[in-house]
Amino acid sequence: MKPRAVILSLSSDYGCQVQMSNFPELLEMLSTFELGYWQLVSSGDMPQDYDVAIIEGAVTTDEQVALLEKVRSIASCVIAIGACAVTGGVPALASGGPVRGQLKDVYGSGSSKVGIGARKPEPIKHYIEVDFSIPGCPIEPAELSRTLQRALRALTDNPERQSMCGECKTAENICMWTQNVPCLGLIARSGCNAKCVSRGRACTACRGIAHDANLASAFAFADSMGCPPEEFDALLKIYNAMSDQELRKEAVGKIAAQEVAS
Amino acid sequence: MYFRILAKDHVSTFVEGLAHVYEVFAPVKNESGFSFEQVSDGSSIVLDYPMTIIPPKKYFVRSKESLFRYDTHSGDVVESELEVTPRVLFGVHACDINALLMTDKVFLGDYEDPYYKARREHTLIVGVSCMPVLTCMCDTWGTGEVQQGCDLFLTDLGDRYFVTCHSVEGAHVLDTFADTHEATAEDTKALEEHLRAFREAFSRPVDATSLQLLFDAKYNDELWEEIGEACLSCGACSAVCPTCYCFDVNDELDADGNAGARVRCWDSCMNSQFAEVAGGHDFRPTRASRVRYRFYHKFWSYPARYGKTLCVGCGRCDVACKVNINPRRIIGALQEGARS
Ligand code: SF4
Ligand code: SF4
Repeated sequence: MKPRAVILSLSSDYGCQVQMSNFPELLEMLSTFELGYWQLVSSGDMPQDYDVAIIEGAVTTDEQVALLEKVRSIASCVIAIGACAVTGGVPALASGGPVRGQLKDVYGSGSSKVGIGARKPEPIKHYIEVDFSIPGCPIEPAELSRTLQRALRALTDNPERQSMCGECKTAENICMWTQNVPCLGLIARSGCNAKCVSRGRACTACRGIAHDANLASAFAFADSMGCPPEEFDALLKIYNAMSDQELRKEAVGKIAAQEVAS
Repeated sequence: MYFRILAKDHVSTFVEGLAHVYEVFAPVKNESGFSFEQVSDGSSIVLDYPMTIIPPKKYFVRSKESLFRYDTHSGDVVESELEVTPRVLFGVHACDINALLMTDKVFLGDYEDPYYKARREHTLIVGVSCMPVLTCMCDTWGTGEVQQGCDLFLTDLGDRYFVTCHSVEGAHVLDTFADTHEATAEDTKALEEHLRAFREAFSRPVDATSLQLLFDAKYNDELWEEIGEACLSCGACSAVCPTCYCFDVNDELDADGNAGARVRCWDSCMNSQFAEVAGGHDFRPTRASRVRYRFYHKFWSYPARYGKTLCVGCGRCDVACKVNINPRRIIGALQEGARS
């Protein structure tokens, strides 16, 4: 019997699901599972039982928390896909202040009628145990396919740990910093072949902060290049508002203290 | 002893002639700087380049390559991916040629690597002289000249090259595809002048006397903590280094899971996964221990085994590292401490 899978989405723009549908080997990938539900394309309901849950999107409502808990109790394997699900992604930019206040800023006097059950956006792992994480905005479908194969063989997750610069050099790119463009490759998790920089844009760390990242040193380097810590942190927040908050605060504080001292 | 003069005007035709028989790879200029690319049009190549971002090692140990494919049901190897085509690397600097001689020791030594070997055997190397930029330190290691490891070497004499032949095949392709003439006394004089100018162009000498001894004594120096605190663990240094050869091997399964590929890719000892073993023990858990390891490999253990420092002074790591970690600085710092 093939393992049964479902693909569902919380708060996101469905970009990762669209990206999956663009994968040239989509059919081969799906042939290894019995796909019971795919939110982007299914009209029916979620099945009662399944083995693997592939989840996109950040958690932003009470209802989603309940759904996640239920999914975790059924699925033996949970795979978070995309920046929203893995780090909180762009939705987590709204995690800095009280949700009600933010709804008011956006919807004004009518705000009490919207956002029922809204919570501060968070990555899935803050609520349930996640077995595999496929980072990126959007994901690399080949990475998902490789991970599904690992899951099928009961292997564990094996994410890249190194930050992007080495991979970016291997792609023979010119460093963005030498062109005075702040780039998060210094601390971003590798694994995309430095796609953005190879196309002339700075890395935004959509794959998250690398396990090996040295935030203090990266902040200091950015500062020495004329990108002060607040600015560097603002760039980092786009995809990583909820990641390594303590370390980030520490890095910013350390530079501020050094500046006071000098 | 076979040497000829090749007018710069004739380089294009030479390259195009080679391209009829070989795949030719040469430095070209692009938005990022210079890189080795496959060329067919001789006018697209640039021979007076400072350095390429990635050295020619990429043609011998690829940044990522499938070694073979296998069937997941039977477990049989179904295809070997070893395919070699006769190639010419045209316009390789002396440091990068010397670097290949160092990686040869590793890949053609006790454990022969068939992929590396086949590519090496099918590749002709045409070297070209250069002038040092600020980050260069081949003067320290004597790797700014080539005694072996190439088939032809072109020394820039302004409007022409002084071509020395190092192999029979080199002489053969030169005679077949290049319009050359005999060297005159004037050419020899110009060559002497070039060599003098090259020697004099190095402005930041590094004294590497008793380096291994110094490394020996300074294994527990606080310098390593300091350097480790700055290191971003990004692996840029090892990616761009012509003498860094470590790799990782992974199995990557096809989307349908029926077959897979055993994939080799560049790895870096700056990566925290590098020295981790089954069961989770990590031999080098701290950044400081990893940075230190990279330098000890280059300046202590490789020389202990092969009698040569594992650095050719190309300066690429100096350019690539954001936090100024490079052999020049490390050697300087070790010596500074030694004096205080
Ligand atoms: S250590 Fe640096 S200077 Fe030495 S060969 Fe490697 S990249 Fe070049
Ligand atoms: S030494 Fe420099 S280039 Fe190498 S890993 Fe550390 S920060 Fe990156």
